[in-house]
Amino acid sequence: MKTQRLSRARRSLLSCAPISEQRIRDRSMRAALSCSRDSNEFANQQSFDRAMAALVDAIPIPPETTEWFADKEFVPASRWTWKKMVRNPAVLAVGIALLVIAGVFVFNFLNHLNDFPGSAMARKLLMVASSTRPVLLDPVNADAGTLGDLFFMKHGLEHYEVPPEFADFRTIGCRVFEDEESRRIAQIWLAEKRMQLFLFPAERDIKTSAVLRFAGWRYIQQEGWTGAVSEHNGVCFMAALRGRKEDLNQYVSEAKE
Amino acid sequence: MPDRKQNLPQLYRFCFLMLGDSRKAQEVFHATLREAAVRAAHGELPSEPFWLFRHARWRCLEESETDLQAEPLQIEAHEITPEAPLQIEQLEPAQLAIWISGAPEPQRTALALFYLNEFDYREILDLADLKLSELSRLLLTGRRQFQAWLNTMVPQISKI
Repeated sequence: MKTQRLSRARRSLLSCAPISEQRIRDRSMRAALSCSRDSNEFANQQSFDRAMAALVDAIPIPPETTEWFADKEFVPASRWTWKKMVRNPAVLAVGIALLVIAGVFVFNFLNHLNDFPGSAMARKLLMVASSTRPVLLDPVNADAGTLGDLFFMKHGLEHYEVPPEFADFRTIGCRVFEDEESRRIAQIWLAEKRMQLFLFPAERDIKTSAVLRFAGWRYIQQEGWTGAVSEHNGVCFMAALRGRKEDLNQYVSEAKE
Repeated sequence: MPDRKQNLPQLYRFCFLMLGDSRKAQEVFHATLREAAVRAAHGELPSEPFWLFRHARWRCLEESETDLQAEPLQIEAHEITPEAPLQIEQLEPAQLAIWISGAPEPQRTALALFYLNEFDYREILDLADLKLSELSRLLLTGRRQFQAWLNTMVPQISKI
């Protein structure tokens, strides 16, 4: 390509083209040079510049001046500073990565701060609650408190009793299903605020198989759903609804009073 | 290879190209290094790279202000020829220094910094406070004017 056809910016760069090849540090200059390798005009310029640089290099240094060339430092050594270090792309990348990892740790820590035995299972059941449609359940119009007998008689589920706090609410339907670990779970749909109740086996110690108990009500939240969980006789009960902790808390509190 | 920020032989050559006079170049060179030594003693050396060259440049400009100034002339300009390197080889370094020192600012600084072969164009832009288009124009016209001068000074080779 002829130099004349090059863009103005490239022509400007070519005029300033380095005399030594090793001084080419930026991409735009390399690109400009690669486009003009075959140009006679540019070849003449380069020969001219090299001859001029050689002449400059031949400028003799007076002996009284060479005394100054001893080991004096007139330029401060590059000092280590926090600013410099932070601007280093590698350090910046590592810093961001560490922040993200720390953020994930903090997020997980806060998430599991209120964990209790069976909380993992309860979270899974909140997902089930959010995806369940009423048609999946067998229609049952009764008080929730009476379904404990049904679960025992029909499915052989012992102690699958709805706590007194929720025993008087009318039900729409119920079902018993197994999760991926073959644990049997009872699900009840209430007319009250389309609340769902779950009864599932409490978590057990891996070594001793003893039930891991906890007292009172524990709350979990996930994707807009809230669950209040209690444990009794080795069975966990969870009342779940779409809403905040306060929406559930009133049922538990009222019942307590 | 010496540290580029403190390449003192090149600093002297820069002063020589800027002033075209060995004695004046030495004065500016020594004054620059004396100031650097004083600053170093006080721990006040600027962290800016190439500050020695920047400082020497201002001293050269100050020094030149007291000299007789050439009247602005329409200098002839010729296209660079393939024989130019042979013509340049016949010159003394002092002749080149006198020619460059006679160039108007900022062309003088641009040519001196460029032919030191010490800095890349970005560093020259920073040191001479120029834009790329300005530096390009100054070098382009500088080469052509020097070629015209060469053709006058060393004509026999250009006619080969």
